[in-house]
Parts: sequence; structure tokens; C-alpha cells
Amino acid sequence: MRIADVDTIAVLGDSGLHRIGAPAKLVAFGLVLTAVLVTTNVLLIVALALALIAVVVGQRLPARTLLGFAAYPALFAALFALATTAGMLGVVLVVGKALCAALAAVLLTFTTPYPYIFAPVQRGLPALLGDAALMTYRSLFLLLDRMDKTLTSVRLRAGRPQSFAAGARMVTTALGGTLFYSIDLSQRTYDVMRLRGYEGRLAVAPQPRGPLSTRVATVAIAAVLLGVSVLWRVEWARLNPISWLPVLIAALVLLGAVAARVTRTIRTWKERS
Amino acid sequence: MSHIHIPDGVLPLWLVALGWLVTAVIVGLAVRHSSRADLGRRVPLLGAISALMLVAMSSELIPIAYHVNLTVVAGILLGPALSVVAAAVVVTLLALLGHGGVTVIGLNVVVIAAEMVVGCLLFRGLLRVMGRQRSPWAAGVATVVTLALTTTMLVGIVWLGGTGAASRESGALDPSTLRFENPLSGGIFTNAIVAPEAEPEVPDAPLAVARFALMVYTLGSIGWVLEGMITGAIVGYTAKIRPSLVFEGATRAAASPPPGDEGVNS
Repeated sequence: MRIADVDTIAVLGDSGLHRIGAPAKLVAFGLVLTAVLVTTNVLLIVALALALIAVVVGQRLPARTLLGFAAYPALFAALFALATTAGMLGVVLVVGKALCAALAAVLLTFTTPYPYIFAPVQRGLPALLGDAALMTYRSLFLLLDRMDKTLTSVRLRAGRPQSFAAGARMVTTALGGTLFYSIDLSQRTYDVMRLRGYEGRLAVAPQPRGPLSTRVATVAIAAVLLGVSVLWRVEWARLNPISWLPVLIAALVLLGAVAARVTRTIRTWKERS
Repeated sequence: MSHIHIPDGVLPLWLVALGWLVTAVIVGLAVRHSSRADLGRRVPLLGAISALMLVAMSSELIPIAYHVNLTVVAGILLGPALSVVAAAVVVTLLALLGHGGVTVIGLNVVVIAAEMVVGCLLFRGLLRVMGRQRSPWAAGVATVVTLALTTTMLVGIVWLGGTGAASRESGALDPSTLRFENPLSGGIFTNAIVAPEAEPEVPDAPLAVARFALMVYTLGSIGWVLEGMITGAIVGYTAKIRPSLVFEGATRAAASPPPGDEGVNS
């Protein structure tokens, strides 16, 4: 996991989703997650996955990075499913659920800077928990940078590790150094907080909400996905024979998104040349 | 085997809700206990140590998702009450990164908090028996025992959840409409009267849990040993350079400023 990528893309990205406020995206995320929870139909899960990939492609987000993040839990889900679930359909369902839930989560985090995601939640939490969550995020990138630099310097001095043991020793050394740095960092942060008059609640500036139409459209699309999922769960006996239909629609949407992205890329390339 | 790598929508609702309930209670108690002291000092410390755990989790030892968690190290540094809060923060952030389900945040917090609290208490107990000189060994042993315990918790959660049931109960996986079998697997011509179609065998829950336990204990035990060795090395290193962090905890150690900074905040 390259966690630093999340922040870079969330802050510097310029997709349509980036321009929508966090509350609307949180609602949409909740609806999509519920759709994933509700369904027990493999083809619907495939359709959901295709629809979410279409959003990634259509919004011109870095597909490889996002899918890489989503594939990580899918790997563990596959191990879990192979060990516990009966039959191939069950395995595909469990892995599909993991992939869809993770894809929905990374779509939220890759298009919204973390403080804005956490701000609506932070208000309802105790100060210690809410502020610690914000402080963790702040410290995370400083520590990642520190860890990266320490690993680079160890590699420069000792070369690339030739064995697993050497690699583990190198990571341990870097983690030890990062631990001390984290303690010193917390002390420095404490000093800064005292100077700024911290009184038990960190404030997050509100994020622009974005145009109403886009917010409504985002939530509406998520609601449609949930509606389809609920419909198939309730009326599965009648709808199962046409389970291929949502897959076909999602595949066509994905195809359209890919075509639009390719056309746009070619146009940009021509304008530059 | 620190956090539950079980996706959303697999465990039954009552178990997921129970996880959230237990989390709300333990986090509430921990916050109540920790907020009595200097909040301004504890917030950055919690943030830094939680971030350290996330950095450790993002550093793969072997490129097949084997990573350290540093849960026991964090537990030793933070103490039991703050560990529970750190577990809640880390699990929530991981879920937002797609690493671990969102609905299972509650159960994940219970498992990670147990790992940090038990690891911390076990380390302190072993330290009394083995002495400060053997703190790396105490940390290593505490880590292996704690991870074995939390892995058993994970297997228990899967057993309580009744594996595989969620994908069959609604009948939406009706084989007549969703069959991925090779239609020619029985040959081009088959006689259904002589060789009637066999019903697919569905293993019952105990068998599935046994298989899951076998996989988790086999793969997990390698991780326990690795994590134990790394935790031991880091604790040993820390005990040499700043012993107060290991033997008193970071909250107490932070209350006394580092050498050279005495009098800065007075």
C-alpha cells in the first residue's frame, strides 16, 4: 500500500467527484455499501463492480492505483472464502463483495481530503478520539516520509538486501528510527498546540459543497444501485433468470466510460502536438 | 493475524452489531479514563503512535501482504486505556483505505484493542519475572502469545458467524440460473436415468471453520514469529536508548521533557 498516493490524489485531483462535498459522497458511499451488504447474487456483485470501475474510468481517476488498493482486501477475502465457503459461486460472491466495498471506500478517500471526510464524524465524537484521528492523519505522512528516507539511507549504506532476513532487519531498523521520530514529533506537536492555545477540539474548515445538481445525481445513482440490489434480494425467484441484465447495462456503461476517456486522451494529445 | 480480513456482508448482522456495541463501550470507558489527564499531551502522542502502526502496516516484509502491525509495541508505549482509542483510530483509517471491511470496524477494534491491551499487560508481567535485562525476550514472547490469542478470537468470530450461510440462505445462488459448471464435464452424451445428477456437496459450518482455522493458524504462525522477533528487536533497541519509554510508557515519559528541553514549557 502506498498510502501517500491517497493524499496526493485526494488533494491535487480535479475530477467531478473531487468537486462534490464530503457529506453527499458519504451518503452515496453508505448507499453503495448497503447495496453490497444486501445482495447475495453473484451477477449483481459483478454488475456493481463494473459500475464502480466505470465511475473510476469515467472520472479519469488513476485506475491502476485505485484498483490496486481495492484488490488488497480482495486477496484476503479470497483466502477466507476458499477456506470457508462452499462452491465457486460462494467464493466469487465473497471476493466480489470485498472488492466492491473496498472500491467504494477508495472512491471516497481518493476524491476527498481526509480531514473533510472525518469532519462531519468528528463533531459527534469525544474530543480525544476525534482529535486523535485528525492528528494520526497529520502524523502519518510525516512518518511515511521519514520511514522512506531511513530505508533509502540504509539501502545506500548496505545495498539492497540479499535475503529475507536482511530485508526484515532493514525494516526493523527503519521502524526503530521512525518510532523515536514519532515520539519527538508528538512532543513538538504538543509544544505547537500549547502555543496556539489548544482547548480540546481541533477545528476543520468547511469544504465547499459543490453544485446541487451533481450532489443530487451522485446520491441518486447510489440509490439506484441500492434499489436494484434490494429488488433482486426480495424478488430473487422471479428476477434471477434475468440477472444478466444488470451486468449487461453496467458493462455498456463501462464501455462508454472507456470510450469517452480514450477519445478525451486522443483529443488532448492532438491539441498538445 | 491482527485485523479481521473478512469482507462486508459475510458475517451476520447480530454479530456485526455486537462488535459495534462492545467497541462503543470499551472506547467510551477508555476515553473517559484517558480524558481526565492532560488532553493536549495525549492527543499528539496518540496520533503519532497510531500513525506509526499504520506506517508499519504499509511496510511489507514479504511481497504477499505479510506486514508487521506493531500493536504490542504501541500497547507498551500507550498503556491499556489509550491503546483502545488508538485501535479505534487505526481500524477506522484502514477501513477508509479499503483495508478491512467498514461494517466489521467494530469487531476489528475489539480484536486489535485486545491485542494491544493483552500484549501490554503480558509484557509487564513477563518483565517482572524475567527482569529488565531481558525486555526484548519478554516483548517477543508477549507478542507471539498475544497474536495466538487474537487469532483464536478471529476463528471464534468466524465460528459464531456460521460461515457460508449468508451466501445460501436467500436462494439467490439458485444453481438453475447461476451455474458456472462445464456443461460437457460429464461427457457429450449423458444418461440422466442411469447417472442422475448429483447434488453439490455443501460442507457444514464446523468443517468450514476447521478448514479456516487450519489456514489461519498455518499462515498466521509464521506472522506471529516474525512479528515477535521484530517487536523484540524494536523494544530492545528502545530500552537501550530511551528506557523510560519501555518501562514507564510514553505517556509518563512524555511528561518529563527530553534532555535539553527542560524548562521550555514551564
